[in-house]
Amino acid sequence: MTTPPPSSSRRRSPLAPVAAVLAAGAALGLVPAFVSSPYALHLMVLFFLSVIMGSAWNLIGGYGGQYSVGHAAYFGVGAYTVVVLLQFRQVAPWWGLVPALALAMALALVIGSITFRLRGPYFVLASIAVAEIVRLAALNWKDLTNGAEGILVSDIPPLVVGGKVITNFVSKVPFYYSGLALALAVVLVTVWVERSKLGYYLQAIREDQDAANSLGIPLTRYKNVALVLSASFTAWAGALYALYVGFIDPATGIGLDISVQIVLTAIIGGIGTVGGPVVGAAVLVALSEALRANLVTDLLVKGGLVRETSKVGLFLRENLAHAHMLIYGLLVALVILFMPEGVVGALGAFARRRRQRLAREAP
Amino acid sequence: MSLFLQSLLSGVLMGAVYALIGIGLTIIFGVMRIINFAHGELVMLGMYLAYFLFTLAGVDPFLSVLVVYPAVWCFGALLQKTVINRVLNALPQNQILLTIGIGLILSNTAMLLFTSDYRILTTSYSSSSFHLGGVSVSVPLLGSFLVTAAVTAILYWFLIKTDMGQAIRATAQDRDAAQLMGINVRWMSVVATGIGAGLAAVAGALLAPTYYIFPQVGQPFTLKAFVVVVLGGMGSVMGATVGGIVIGATESLAAVYVSSGLKDMVVYVLFLLILLFKPAGLFGKSRV
Repeated sequence: MTTPPPSSSRRRSPLAPVAAVLAAGAALGLVPAFVSSPYALHLMVLFFLSVIMGSAWNLIGGYGGQYSVGHAAYFGVGAYTVVVLLQFRQVAPWWGLVPALALAMALALVIGSITFRLRGPYFVLASIAVAEIVRLAALNWKDLTNGAEGILVSDIPPLVVGGKVITNFVSKVPFYYSGLALALAVVLVTVWVERSKLGYYLQAIREDQDAANSLGIPLTRYKNVALVLSASFTAWAGALYALYVGFIDPATGIGLDISVQIVLTAIIGGIGTVGGPVVGAAVLVALSEALRANLVTDLLVKGGLVRETSKVGLFLRENLAHAHMLIYGLLVALVILFMPEGVVGALGAFARRRRQRLAREAP
Repeated sequence: MSLFLQSLLSGVLMGAVYALIGIGLTIIFGVMRIINFAHGELVMLGMYLAYFLFTLAGVDPFLSVLVVYPAVWCFGALLQKTVINRVLNALPQNQILLTIGIGLILSNTAMLLFTSDYRILTTSYSSSSFHLGGVSVSVPLLGSFLVTAAVTAILYWFLIKTDMGQAIRATAQDRDAAQLMGINVRWMSVVATGIGAGLAAVAGALLAPTYYIFPQVGQPFTLKAFVVVVLGGMGSVMGATVGGIVIGATESLAAVYVSSGLKDMVVYVLFLLILLFKPAGLFGKSRV
């Protein structure tokens, strides 16, 4: 990392960002009162889930510089624990979350203790291998997980919140609020981490492990703390996702694609910043929905670039909807090649240059 | 005992192909210190090339390597010159993400072009086998083993005897020193990536008669190639050769004595154990 993130160059009071996050949260909290379109709420739920996962990864990957490409393991453990307990033991999901998070944390500690001795590409490889081991375990432990068939969530018991009984889990509203709350929580945790001793230690580890170690920072301990924090939010997101979609199987719940998407969210927005994963989530969710709904093809047709009835037009209409992973691939390649600091980093650099120019021009 | 020999033999035959994939990965790593996460997708590319050469032009998959290798060599070289070359000095994580991105682009482009249908390349000898001292030997696997052995022998000759091979090895040993000795290290990087990509595609072509061919087929090969390379030692061609055979045999024995569903798990656990206890691998000197 060549340029330090803004937080390390000047220490600001956490009040302003916390107030901003809470204000954004309050505004978003009002949305379901005015918007009833299930599609809009659905997109927001996807956005919140993406924010949670990207920000959770950012704690260990962005601040700590430990690029785990195996976060699907925690996502899957969270999702499977809650769903298995709900379907086979009739445990309500909000209670099921307790063992789910505990398991994810324990798994993170085990994985961390093993893999944090490794560096760079070796760590990345080990994290992938661990996630694959978890996926194969879920695939083969058929008594518990139904194997490749996956588990369908039949129904969720009623939930009482402050005297109000919620029974309608087909509606998107409960998921909207739980997603929002968790997204706010993880962003606030990021704000806190960025300004805490943990955050400074992590950034020191990211910049130079050996230097950090020689200054007396216990490397493995702080990496483990960050990973446990990251894993628990990821598991929570997994549980929420599985309940929201109502289905979980090893391929969609623990596959390498999930791990890659999590990393992409943070990378595209900009790693090691509070706003990065939020921006990344917005970009990725908007983009994949635009593809799915064929908005891109419509745009190309309307712009006169492609004729609707031509072979290319038909081909695009038919296939571009399934191409979101292709676009992810292109995006990550472009971001790495042309703005390795992500969208937020690129905007920050632009703002800095502008300020410098203004300062020079000022008399 | 014959069960043991049987699974050992088919494991070794399969392992030779893993070795070929791993050698490609290790050459690219050796020269540029970049781990190619799109390696399995190059195997996939080789499979599709062999498939279309067979179905459209009637070329036998074992002969098609003569076309597949140069074609994918050029593709790999182009990829190096246009994209990978730009991140030679970037963070290793960014290099990895870039190649993951390339892999996604390749597999999803294949899905757009060829759909995600499973394809099968059926030759006259696809399911034939013969008996040898109580052990049955699959003809396509034996064929791929023999071609692999020939390709590996040529590669060793190239790396050890020719000037260019020595230049590649010198670049892998010490890029700066090689440059000071007048070696064109930029060109060597292009050549090495071409060779690595070509070998992966050849392996794909050799696997085509015995494997389902579909756009996502590559991913497990990427992981397996890493296991092979880490076992042998990053950057060691010799290590990858031995590593491939060992992993093939382990996988095949695990399928028989543990369970066929868990054979990959056994391989990954082995991988973690190697990373932890012998990270330099069997033949490597690289530092973790």
